[in-house]
Amino acid sequence: MRLGGNHFLGSVLPRGNDSAFLLDVHRRGVPGRERMRRFRDEDEVDLLIVGCGAGGAVLAQRLARAGWRVVVLERGPFWDPDTDWVSDEEGSQHLYWTDKRIVGGEDPVELGKNNSGHGVGGSMVHYAGYTPRFHPSDFETRTRDGVGYDWPISYSDLKPHYEQVERELPVAGQHWPWGDPHSYPHAPHPIGGAAERAWAGARAHGVEMRVGPVAIANGVFGNRPHCIYRGFCLQGCKVNAKASPLVTHVPDAIEHGVEIRADSIAVRIELDEASGQVTGVAYVEVKTGCERLQRAAAVAVCGYSIESPRLLLHSTSKRFPQGLANTHDQVGRYVMVQGATQVAARFPELLRMYKAPPPEISSEDFYETDPARGFARGFSIQTVSPLPIGWAEHVLADGHRGAALREYMRDYNHWAVLGSLCELLPQPNNRVTLAGENDQFGMPVARFDYTQCDNDRANIAFAKKTMHAIWETAGAQDELTIDRYAHLVGGCRMGSDPETSVIDSDHRVWETPNLFVCDGSVMPTQGSANPALTIMALASRLADRLAGKRVQAYVSPGARRRPAHELRSTASRSGSSSPAS
Amino acid sequence: MARDFREPDHLPKVRGDEGADPGELPRQRRGSTPQMHGRYPDYDCLEQSEHWDELTRKLVVDRVEHVPELRFFSDAEAATLTAFCDVVLAQDAEPRIPVLAFVDQKLAGGRLDGYQYAGMPDDRQTWRLVARGLDESARSHGAESYAAAPIDRQQEIMSAFAQGELSGGVWEQLACKRAWSVVMRSVLAAFYSHPWAWNEIGFGGPAYPRGYARLGIGLGEAWEGGEALDVDPGAGAKQRRPA
Repeated sequence: MRLGGNHFLGSVLPRGNDSAFLLDVHRRGVPGRERMRRFRDEDEVDLLIVGCGAGGAVLAQRLARAGWRVVVLERGPFWDPDTDWVSDEEGSQHLYWTDKRIVGGEDPVELGKNNSGHGVGGSMVHYAGYTPRFHPSDFETRTRDGVGYDWPISYSDLKPHYEQVERELPVAGQHWPWGDPHSYPHAPHPIGGAAERAWAGARAHGVEMRVGPVAIANGVFGNRPHCIYRGFCLQGCKVNAKASPLVTHVPDAIEHGVEIRADSIAVRIELDEASGQVTGVAYVEVKTGCERLQRAAAVAVCGYSIESPRLLLHSTSKRFPQGLANTHDQVGRYVMVQGATQVAARFPELLRMYKAPPPEISSEDFYETDPARGFARGFSIQTVSPLPIGWAEHVLADGHRGAALREYMRDYNHWAVLGSLCELLPQPNNRVTLAGENDQFGMPVARFDYTQCDNDRANIAFAKKTMHAIWETAGAQDELTIDRYAHLVGGCRMGSDPETSVIDSDHRVWETPNLFVCDGSVMPTQGSANPALTIMALASRLADRLAGKRVQAYVSPGARRRPAHELRSTASRSGSSSPAS
Repeated sequence: MARDFREPDHLPKVRGDEGADPGELPRQRRGSTPQMHGRYPDYDCLEQSEHWDELTRKLVVDRVEHVPELRFFSDAEAATLTAFCDVVLAQDAEPRIPVLAFVDQKLAGGRLDGYQYAGMPDDRQTWRLVARGLDESARSHGAESYAAAPIDRQQEIMSAFAQGELSGGVWEQLACKRAWSVVMRSVLAAFYSHPWAWNEIGFGGPAYPRGYARLGIGLGEAWEGGEALDVDPGAGAKQRRPA
């Protein structure tokens, strides 16, 4: 075997991404921010990205390496884990998107800390760390199961990007027997007492569970330290062991000339009525309240399932009076969440579930459709480990208050928790719209309505029954249940038909050739997998196609000059903001 | 009666009531817990604070040492809501975690949770309406206010609130169950972010930068408190409690 250069650096590292080495061994913040390249508003950058999360950060990093001039607007701060984050549940509220939103429908979805990120790194800053792939079936549920919607791409289109992103995060876990069987670059992490109990129960019940997959380095990985198993994954990893774009893609992006403009909220995408192309994005500097306009040859909206539709719907013009990309009233529709009921079980021993990362072991035995169950599609089961406030919400949801609540809380260390991720189906009326009130930036507040269908209810009920059965087999002494949701996807789905989708298979808005959407909102279905890895893989694929010019980012009408990046071959990277033409 | 926590016979659903009398638990010997009882009488997470990062230490220690003054609620609202918080958290004796002070601080600072149910007012308004509603419900039972009502009545109203059964007056402006969820979110966050509550339940507290090394079933770090097993807190404590 030939030893490549990477081996001499102490670990196997991904190609084309030096983020792990660009981080500092002794500090957690991203180095090099002070020498980050700056563009002027009037510079027409090659690509302006809105949102620095799983989609936007990967897209920026890839295209910067291909020589594109990229600016990323991010509503939240540029986090420094050393100085901005604490090892505390209640003290981490600033990690979440807490601007006002209205939730409605018959089964409204809680937002905020449950699923909405804020700041450089996006929701992955506070996700648990589970990074399963989608199954091949997820891309063709309409054809296979008669529900949902077929993606315009297949699993095989994403597979190389799954592999690449798994090396970049990196993902640790046992060999994965479900979906398209595959292995992970890092070995599985040790598990805590609660997961040991769950595993024994599942095994006895005939349910296969495996350790991982989690995006937490297990061993040397550049300058990122090993996990210390403190259990605060959902509060932002102060260690830099858990992957988020802040540590996995932003350092390399900055090194390759990306400007990340934090504390900047996009309020409107500007359109040239004559050509029908977008020309830039109006944004407000959160700290000063000043509105500015960044010019760009192309724009990628990467704001996730609530904010991407909101920005498109708010960007109205004579040509698109219902908002950009919304000619066929598709923007904001088919938003999905996963049914994430959790069942806790009580055991004689002290399990102390607050130790070890909350994501430990999971099962995809129930992922695919089984006609015998009486509903389409399925669910996965994962261990979760609520900290005290999360545990209190769990106890309350089971109907306990006063002295009973306190008693179950005192019993905290005896409990283990299984959570489900049920694939709930895309429905047109589960949608984001603009509410009749404005926020502090003069932008209409988003409203998200959600109602389950019968298939959804049957799926959730079956998952709950399965988790109860596992715990009973495990010998649980008592059980407590909470019904909840997790994750967000959909809202700007990709498709093969402009009348039933918002973007094509290259993430391009059907009616607007230089406008792209690249985040969780593009997913037509959600599987029973946590979405982060798939969002990154989609961004990786899009970048691959744009950089390889298999997709043109801008279609030049006669009067339009050539794309800026093609003209900048002689412009030096340090000679920052000289206009390219 | 000695209590062995390996058995579940102290738990509410197993017993079919509110759970075992916490007065039978051992008195806290190190540090504080709310009402000074708990499972881990010799564990005080604050003793570990020198192992926490500075930002977290300041934040957590401040919860004990600098209780914020009320800025959002009026005195009357505060009286009603303090009584409500005590009932819903079964804080029936000192020392109490000053839950409402933390809720007040959050609301006064405009730090809301990022979503508002359609048809419901702003969370801040919801809190004020709940205070009025609790007083109205207490008055309809002949009490002067919620805080002045007998404890049984307070508990009854609290339970009706939890089950979405309060109606009339102010409650017509609120979806009762939604209001319960808005209020309880903040109440639970305030109580279970307090280190005294962590002592009571045996939570390790902030663990950065030290982390954990002993993860398996029944394992603990050297500094983590053991559960009080085979102790006999019963006789003495029971006699001291008023009937």
